[in-house]
Amino acid sequence: MTRIWRETGFVENDPWIVETDDLTAGEDQKALLDLDTLIVRAEESNDVGLGVVLKPADDVSRLEPYLYRLEIVAVSFPAFNDGRGFSQASLLRQRLGYANELRAVGDVLIDQIPLMLRCGFDSFSVTNATALKRLADNRLPGIPHHYQPTARSAEAGQGYSWRRVSPKSA
Amino acid sequence: MYRYDEFDHAFVAERVAQFRDQVERRLSGELAEDAFKPLRLMNGVYLQLHAYMLRIAIPYGTLNSKQMRMLAHVARTYDRGYGHFTTRQNLQFNWPKLSDMPAVLHDLSTVEMHAIQTSGNCIRNVTADHFAGAAADEVADPRPYAEILRQWSSVHPEFSLLPRKFKIAVTGAERDRAAIQVHDIGLHLKKNDKGEIGFAVYVGGGQGRTPMIAKLIRDFLPEEDLLSYTTAVMRVYNLHGRRDNKYKARIKILVHETGAEELARQVEVEFAQLKDSELKLPDADVQAITRYFALPDMPERPEGWESLARWKKADEDFARWVQQNVQPHKNPDYGMVTISLKPIGGIPGDATDAQMEIVADIAEEFAFDEIRVSHEQNLILPHVALADLESVFRRLQGTGLETANAGLITDIIACPGLDYCALANARSIPLAQEISSRFGSAERQAEIGELKIKISGCINACGHHHVGHIGLLGVEKKGAELYQITLGGSGDEHTSIGEIVGRGFDPDKVTDAIETIVNTYLGLRLDPSEIFLAAYRRVGPQPFKDALYGSAAEAA
Repeated sequence: MTRIWRETGFVENDPWIVETDDLTAGEDQKALLDLDTLIVRAEESNDVGLGVVLKPADDVSRLEPYLYRLEIVAVSFPAFNDGRGFSQASLLRQRLGYANELRAVGDVLIDQIPLMLRCGFDSFSVTNATALKRLADNRLPGIPHHYQPTARSAEAGQGYSWRRVSPKSA
Repeated sequence: MYRYDEFDHAFVAERVAQFRDQVERRLSGELAEDAFKPLRLMNGVYLQLHAYMLRIAIPYGTLNSKQMRMLAHVARTYDRGYGHFTTRQNLQFNWPKLSDMPAVLHDLSTVEMHAIQTSGNCIRNVTADHFAGAAADEVADPRPYAEILRQWSSVHPEFSLLPRKFKIAVTGAERDRAAIQVHDIGLHLKKNDKGEIGFAVYVGGGQGRTPMIAKLIRDFLPEEDLLSYTTAVMRVYNLHGRRDNKYKARIKILVHETGAEELARQVEVEFAQLKDSELKLPDADVQAITRYFALPDMPERPEGWESLARWKKADEDFARWVQQNVQPHKNPDYGMVTISLKPIGGIPGDATDAQMEIVADIAEEFAFDEIRVSHEQNLILPHVALADLESVFRRLQGTGLETANAGLITDIIACPGLDYCALANARSIPLAQEISSRFGSAERQAEIGELKIKISGCINACGHHHVGHIGLLGVEKKGAELYQITLGGSGDEHTSIGEIVGRGFDPDKVTDAIETIVNTYLGLRLDPSEIFLAAYRRVGPQPFKDALYGSAAEAA
């Protein structure tokens, strides 16, 4: 079972789905559009509250003109060890100033979630059983001392300009 | 050297606890091996042929006697009484149990050591010139910058799942002893016209199955931009490096396929956005880190000049050791001592717990408590008074650590090879031992002069055969081991990739082939000052092909 998790806990009745051949958005649901479709839709309408799902090879800068119309950006991890999504998230938050929901979807595992949080993700579509259990127990495996500034703001750490400290294990 | 502050201690303790949890989940079966693999690799744990291997980080190869003693303790307590110093200035233990790993890491953390990012597809332990801070030809000490990079890259969330591993090396001297042109990023410290410190930035060097020499993409990067520019390189690589084929995933392939100019342009575009970000290095921070690496307070010891000459006259072995293993220090009363881990017929880079203790004792007593690991798999005492050389030599005698062969034909680099490694096609260590024994006589080595032999047991080139003056690559052909010989490689400021000389040799023929090559060189060199590499560059491969394979027509 796939559930949506945010730092405030699991989210019920999340409306966003990735459409497939077998699955289309129902009445209470909204589709996450792929990048090309999103751009066409945005160009042809004045719709707001849109959602997009990025593939690892997508150039996030193409979203720049439409960011204010997006309610959610989902970044996909077809495999947990494909790390491109970390840079995509960092660019969305730090370069493009995107402030709405940023969701990791795909192969989202517990040991990567702390890294994802630091890159600016704030929402996670989780299927892995261990990850779901640890999240339910609120046991994230992250560490609070960091040697680099990232998209997620954190307090300055002791000593040098590049150090940061998070209040808890993220 | 750098000392941990509270922040560093807290970080490493948290990292040990984090890894302990991961190991427990693996042992309980909650974590599958494929998901555990990148996690253990991020912490230096490999699954090898016979057992797990733990690779411990020795940042830029610098350690003190307390840390060396801890390595001896780990060797004794959790392993089989020895460790293996690597070409990346690290130390590997080949036999620890997975269940012991958290305890090992805890013990290491008490002396400010860890295994973070010694493997995995992340930014690896940053390496530097093993003579840093002591060499006379240095513009500036590379270690403060290596330390800043080490900190910044530790558990970097954006760059923990790169297409492939990523190695950074820093040199502060014209004479490149860190092989920066065969690294993913090579930084060469220099000063501009105004006397300001900066870096020439090389990208896309590497060995492995596709050896490439790095391209210069920035002639002078100001010191303050070190982290922002490096971030720009990493981001371009993370987004665009190939992930479809692990053998084409290193940044060298991206540089090759994109073109160095275009890649440099992409990096500059990204850098322009990052330049004035919070990554800019404040001068005060650079100064504070640099202070950790200040030279020790070294008293004048002019008496060494006279006594050294006297001792050398009295003892031929000592004279030979000084000649070969001691290099001039920036302070003329001192020398930089290489402790060879290449005893004749021994295993390159291995040291027993007792040997580690001896080196620790000597470092504490005679060398301001400083030890280095060189990428040539030897240990270095960077600051030893000439007046103490005799005492140091006496302490080394009879321990297996007194071999006078630094830079000579028996100072061989070899990967662990088929004796340990799951990737290897052929053995490396027994071949190194055989060559070492064949050329072991002190007189013969001296006659041959500087000659770097490097042996890899497979195409991944951990033994750096591509940059050996003579390189040996073990391959598998029809189920048997075969060694391919390359000539003319070099990993210094004039980096070159060795050329394959012809068809490979059977294991029992390869040492003879080396001998043929050496004799050919001795016959054609202009005079003894023309080392093998220089002679090869002058005459090319043909005389060696003729000698190895008969007439040119027969050569493969």
